[in-house]
Order: sequence, then C-alpha cells, then structure tokens
Amino acid sequence: MAESTVLNLVLWLPALGMVALLLAPQGSDRAVRGFAFVLMLVQLVLAAWLYQRFDGSVPGLQFETRLPWIRDWGVHYHVGLDGLNVLLVALTAFLGPLVVAGAFSAVQKNVKLFFAMVFFIQFAMLGTFLAQDLFLFYVFWEAMLIPMFLIIGLWGGERRIYATLKFVLYTAFGSILMLAAVIYLVYSESQYTGALSFAFSELGRHPLSFGAQSWMLAAFALSFAIKVPMVPLHTWLPDAHVEAPTAGSVILAGVLLKMGTYGFMKLGFPLFPDATRAFTPALMTLSVVSIVYGACLALVQTDIKKIIAYSSISHLGYVMLGLVSLDLMGIQGAIVQMVSHGLVAGGLFTMVGMIYERCHTRDLAAYGGLAKLLPVYSVFFMILTLASIGLPTTSGFTGEFMALLGAFNAAWPQYQAGNSLPLVLAVTAVAGVVLGALYMLWLAQRMLFGAVKAPHQPLTDLVAREKAILVAFVVAIFALGLFPQGPLEKTELAARDYQQRVLGTRLPEAAP
Amino acid sequence: MNWSLILTSMLPEHLLLVGMLAILGLEIRSGRPRDGFGPAVLFVAAAAAAALWLYASGHAGAPFPGHFSAGPAATLPKAVLLALGVPVLLISRDDFTETPYYTLMLASLYGACLVISSDSFPTLFLGLEIMSLPVYALVLLGLLRAQSAEAALKYLVLGGAATATLLLGISFLYGWSGSMDLAVFAAALAGSDPLAMAGVALVTAALFLKAAVVPFHAWAPDAYEGASAPVTAYMATIIKAGVLLAALRVFGSAPVVPPLVGLLAILPLVSMAWGNLAAIRQTSFRRMIAYSSIAHAGYLFYALLGDGAGRWEAIVFYLLAYGLMNVLAFAALPRGADDERQDRLDALKGLYQRRPFAAIMIALAMLSLAGLPPLPGFAAKFLVFKNVLAAGYTGYAVAGLVASYLGLYFYLRVIQYMFMSEPEPAAARGSPRRYAVAASLLCLVPAVLLMLFPGWLIDRL
Repeated sequence: MAESTVLNLVLWLPALGMVALLLAPQGSDRAVRGFAFVLMLVQLVLAAWLYQRFDGSVPGLQFETRLPWIRDWGVHYHVGLDGLNVLLVALTAFLGPLVVAGAFSAVQKNVKLFFAMVFFIQFAMLGTFLAQDLFLFYVFWEAMLIPMFLIIGLWGGERRIYATLKFVLYTAFGSILMLAAVIYLVYSESQYTGALSFAFSELGRHPLSFGAQSWMLAAFALSFAIKVPMVPLHTWLPDAHVEAPTAGSVILAGVLLKMGTYGFMKLGFPLFPDATRAFTPALMTLSVVSIVYGACLALVQTDIKKIIAYSSISHLGYVMLGLVSLDLMGIQGAIVQMVSHGLVAGGLFTMVGMIYERCHTRDLAAYGGLAKLLPVYSVFFMILTLASIGLPTTSGFTGEFMALLGAFNAAWPQYQAGNSLPLVLAVTAVAGVVLGALYMLWLAQRMLFGAVKAPHQPLTDLVAREKAILVAFVVAIFALGLFPQGPLEKTELAARDYQQRVLGTRLPEAAP
Repeated sequence: MNWSLILTSMLPEHLLLVGMLAILGLEIRSGRPRDGFGPAVLFVAAAAAAALWLYASGHAGAPFPGHFSAGPAATLPKAVLLALGVPVLLISRDDFTETPYYTLMLASLYGACLVISSDSFPTLFLGLEIMSLPVYALVLLGLLRAQSAEAALKYLVLGGAATATLLLGISFLYGWSGSMDLAVFAAALAGSDPLAMAGVALVTAALFLKAAVVPFHAWAPDAYEGASAPVTAYMATIIKAGVLLAALRVFGSAPVVPPLVGLLAILPLVSMAWGNLAAIRQTSFRRMIAYSSIAHAGYLFYALLGDGAGRWEAIVFYLLAYGLMNVLAFAALPRGADDERQDRLDALKGLYQRRPFAAIMIALAMLSLAGLPPLPGFAAKFLVFKNVLAAGYTGYAVAGLVASYLGLYFYLRVIQYMFMSEPEPAAARGSPRRYAVAASLLCLVPAVLLMLFPGWLIDRL
C-alpha cells in the first residue's frame, strides 16, 4: 500500500462514516455510538502511523497526492503533510475518538445525525489542514460551517439558535471577502504564468504590489482573525461556546480555532510578506490586546464555560504573538501552543460537560468543595487547570514560554534601535500569564474547595469511560510538556521556511 | 431540404412534438379523459436522451441555415433542460392527471429547445413565446386558490409587455442593420449608434423582464405563489434557464462595453441584494423561492460581464447546479390537501423528526442555493464571480459577493425550521409526493457527481 493512501484514508474515513450513518436505517443508538468510536479509533491509529513516519529532516510535502480536479482552472486535489500541519492533523485525529466517547451519554436525541455531523466536521477540518490547493482549502474551510451550524443548533443549550446563526453569519462574512481575494490572487499570479493555478506552491512566487498585498492580506486576515478569534472580532465565540454541546465546544476550542492561526501561518503571512511586515505592529498589538483582554473577561465571568471560552481568546493571542514575532523560537512556540491549547481547552470543556451532565448548571456560584464530593474529578480538573496556566512539565508551559521568548528575541534588537513598542507589548503579554494564573486558580478554588455545595446531590464520581478520556488528555499534555523535542524536530524546517518567506519580499523590483 | 438532417438535428424537438400529439391523440381516440403522465415522462426522457446522444456523438448541423442549428453548444444545454424536465413531470403526478397539463408542458419544453438552437431573431422570438405562453395557462391550471387567477393574469400581462418590448427591440435592430440574424446584436454592442443601442437595451430589458430581474421582478412572487408546486419548480428552473440561454444566444461572445456595463452590472446586482433581502421577510415557501430566484437571475446575468468562453461555461454550469437543487427542494417538499397552509414556512418546522429523508434533501438544496461548499452551488457561484473578476470588474465582484452573503440567512432559516424547531400543532403536515424519491434521486445523483467531479463538466464547457 502506497504511503499516500494512508493519508487519504485518514482524510476520507470520516466522510465515509458520515455517508454510512446518513444512509443507515434508524437503528439502535448503541450501535451508532460503537461504529463512530471504532471508526475514529481506526483513523487515530492511521494518523499516528503517519505522524511516526513523518520525517522532519525532509523539506516539503510528504505522503503527497496530487490529482487534477478541475483542469480548466488548474485546480488539483492536492493533499499532503508538511511540518506546519503534521501536528494539527495528529491533534485532530487524537481528539476525534475523545469527542465521540465524550458524547456517548450527553447526546440522546438524533444520535445518528449527531455522529454524522461530527464525522462531517472531522472531515472538513482534516481537509483544511491537508489541502495544498487554495480552491480545495476554501471548499473545506467553508464546508466546516455546515456541520457546526447543526451541531450547535440542534444539540445546544437554550439560546442555541441565536448562537449558531451568529456563529455562521459572522464567520461566513469573513470568508466571502476571502473568496474575492482568492480569485483576485489567482488571477494576478496567472498574469505571469499564463495559466490559472491554485497550488500553494505556485502562489507567492511572483511580484505583487504593496497595495494589492495589503488588500488581500486584509481580506484573508478578516476571515482568519474571526476564526482565531482576535479581539475585536471575538464576540461570536462566547455565545457559540456556551450554547454548543460539549462535543461542539471541544471541537471548536480544540481544532476549529486553530484554523485561523493555521490560515495565517500557511497562507496569510507568507503570501503577502511585505504587507505583513508593514502591519506587524498592529498585528502584535491586537495579539497582546487579545491576551490581556481575553484574560480580563475570563476573570469576571460567572459561567464556567464562559471562563474557558474567554481563556481561549487569551491563549490564542500567544499563538498570534509567536507567529508575528518572526523569530524561530516564537514560531515553533506558536505551533506547540496551538496543539497544547487544543489539548488543554479540549480537556477542560470535556470536564465542564461532565459536571454539567451531573448537575445541569454551569453557574459557578452553584458549586463549591467538589474536591470532597468528586475527588477523582477534582484531581483531573486541577491538572488541567495547571496545564492551562502553563505550569512547567505541561504542554502549556512549552508553548507559552517559547512564544514569549520569541517575542522578546524579536523585540530586543528593535528596542536597541529605538523602537520600544515590541518590548512593551512583550512585557504586557507576560502580564497575561499572571492574569491567566489568576482566573484559572480562582476558578479551581471556587469550584473545588471551600464549603461543599452542588445541585442534584448525591453525585457519582467519574465512570471508567470518563476516566479513560481524561487520562488520554492528561497523558498527551504531559507528553508534549516533557518531550517537546520530537514535535519540535518535525516542525523546525517548516517553521524556518515560514520565517524565510515572511522575511522575504514580493514587491515588484524598481524600474529595470 | 435535407430531410435526414432535419430528422437527426431536431430529434429532441421531434420527440417532444410526437409526445404532444400522442397524448392528445390517445385521448381523442379513446373519447374519455386519459392520464397524460406516462407518455409525457417517456417522451421527455427520450428527448433528453436524444439530446445527450447528439451531444455525445459530436453532432453539428444546421437544418435551417441561419435560423436553426444544433451544434454541441445547443445539444448540451438542451440535454440539461430536458433532463430537468423529467423530475418536474414526476412530481406533477399528484396535482395533475389531465392531458392538457402534459401537452402544455411538452409544448413549453419545445419552445425552450427552439430558443437554444435559434440563430435568428424570428426563431428566438418564436421559441420564447412557445416556451412562455403555455406557462400562463399552467399557472392557472391548478387554480389552487383565488389568487391563482390574479397571479396568472399578472404574469400574462407582464409577459405580454416583455413580448412587446422584445419585438420593439428586434425591430430597432432590424431597422439599423436590415438583418434578422442574431449576430446583429453583437454588432450593435460593438458600435455606438443610438438606434442600435436602443435596440440592445430593449432586448435586454425584455430578457430581464422574463427572467425577473429587479426592477422587472414584481410578477414573480405572485406567480410563483399562485401556481402549484411543480409549476413553480418549472418556472424557477426551466423557464429561467430558457431565458438565460436566450441571453447567451443573443450576447454570444461579444464583449460588453461601457454604457451597457452599467445596465448589465447594476440591475443584476440590485436584483441579488433585493431578492436576498426580501426573501428574509417571506412566510410562504414558494414566495421565498421566488425572491431567491430573483437573486439567482442576478448572478446569472452577472456572468455576462465576463468574456465569451467564461460566460458560456458559467451560465450552463450554474443553470444545471441551480436547476437540480431547486427541483430537488420541490421534489422532497411534502404536499398537503390545503395548499395555502402547506406552503407556509411554518409547515416545515420539525420536518426532520417526521420525514428525515425529505428534510435532508431540502437542506442540501438550500445549502447549495446559498452557495456553500462543497455543494455544486458553490462551484457555480465561483464560476460567475471568477469571470467578473477576470474581466477586471473587481468592485462589482466584491459587491456581488457581499450581496450573495445576504442570502445566507434565509436559506439557513429553512434548515433551522426543519431541524431545530418543534412542529407547530396547527401547521399542516402533508405527505410526500408519489414519486418524491425517484424525482429526488434524479436530481440528487447528478448533483453529487457534479459536487465530486465539477471538472468533468467544466472541462467540457
């Protein structure tokens, strides 16, 4: 079996799962759950094999498939693994079975449709990461809206309709302008080659005026920044997160938000390097504002899910900060932070879902002293809290520390040259770490310690299935925190390539 | 006269004609009302197959040189239109058994085929009229409610106005050039003679009227709402396609130059925005589809801003994707005894719980009409805006994309009603049409193929 077949299997298994579930007659929910879980496990095993076989010392794409899809437009079905997406693909495949297992008891109505939609979004997310062709990328990127619309709208909380429409209309607005930029970009490149091509490797080779770069970067950035989300485009996130069912929140926080940062890393910044460098101060400022403002918002929430939702805004601010620092350490930190946030926020949302299933409220004031009522739950919650803060040995530390270090590395020469803004921003970002510790520890303190209170007592502690899910999260978090060397080696070449491209120029040369 | 050429080149038309005569003849011969459904489906399917065969064999012939020709550029759209006719006929069975309905349907399809093959203004005019005249009667035929008569009359009067405008435009062009050839239109576009320009503007306005482009759209919501569901499906897809293919015939590959760019960009743009916005306020499904089709007429005419090859590719692909998905929605839609209550959007609430298949089909149709990938409606919309951008109209392309974004909400609302709302106790339930599954699959299977392999069609266009 050719190795690229495995990659295609990883991508298409969820699509097959979706079609199978939609076509299957109404059957027992147990069978549907079992089928979904087994398929996700198979996908995880295949993805793990790919990850293991991925060679970080080889530049460019691996396990590549390239077939003509629409010849006239130069569109190809082109997928492959590179250093930028290998970790995110692994993360998506890793979260798959956990999301499915986490929804076993939480989802009781329309079970078949639910898992079909989980497969659909898994397919779309993997496709977005793996696509190496702009048209294909856009198709997957936009297709993600459909399953998420249904997941939030069908299985969500009380204000689910409002939340899901807000989510879709918000994100779709960004992508419609991106579509204009995509077509414009492809046409402006085709003036040099004479043929249309959507291949990532073809785009970005030819000169592009600063004005065109700026407009297109703005259009791409609007779409990506909404997905990240960056302040001030974050207002859809709390609603979507709070109203989404647990599985939806885990997918949103775990993978979907990374679409935005991945988009910046893979397309937005490298395609328009001159505009990116010109806007770096603004982008950096917005990143730091996201870090601090997100943390401040998290601090004052009374809804557990909202706290974690706002913490996501803050944590993804570090990713953006690392990416725009253009320092190798910062870029690699950003990549690790993406994965780390996926694991930590995914785990925390899963845990909020578990307590919600027992007590049917997310109001923080209703809880207290859970350490006595649910000791096992509390241990896991504490571990995830510490990982979220970025305690050394957890993945959160590696990512945040490297991203901040990168920001300082980039800021210091500029400070010596008389520009103190980057340094001020980097120092402010460190303040975000303190705020992060504050809101998470305060959350843990109010929930786990103090006077014992919780609705719907007596509560049963975690069952074996739930323990297994959380053990998987915790093991992954420590693995990434203690042994970051492996992932870093796999991404180093790609991070260097990104750095080179953004530091390069695409401006048309001065008059010949 | 080359009889063998007339026989082969016009085979789809002949089959429709024979079908019409067979349906009428059978009834006359038996002396009692007969069911025209079977023969109609048979002959339309045969005509579609004939058109496809002509296309596949690369047939190119002009049985009436200068008036009627059937090259690949005509046989392919003919095959598309006739193939769309089959599911439309299938879903008609519940509402109509009498022969006039099927005779009129076949006549209208015959007119559409003439339009597609026309090389001269007389043929084009004949085709458009043969296509539209039966529909005035079709709207009335169901007579579902008192408004049906009003709707049919409005449609008739405005259709008559369109005919008059078209004739006036044609006579201006004839007066300018002394020729009835369609190429006159392209020549008039290139020049700046006031008489020729007036002719071009009048012909375009007539096409806008027939395709329901703002500000000539007011008839559409009433006609769509007043007609029965299969007739609405027919008007929204095949009639619209016929008019657009007529536009494609007259514009040919002539570039659109400045004074006309305004007309061909602004009105369709307003059409997109207004159609999409007005659809949000509708409570009737068919009225909503009417406004949706007004917006889609806007996208389709937008494609004319591009160059010759691009507009041909965009319009044919768009018509197929749009037609399949629109008919799919109507095929899956439950049918009720009380049409007015059944047509309310509220009746869709909770549909997924009652009829998951129908709900999923309608959802796919709505997502495709909204232009969300991976459904074929996305590739269609992409083609249109790609052409507008490639022609250098960046501002119009961005404005059009934003206008298309306005339509997202009302399509999603249909899905919201079907999947996320509880059924209203007083709302009509309805039951599936007799051939709902067959008609849905006839639309769904090609649509899925189009979604997975859009290149197959695009590379051939």
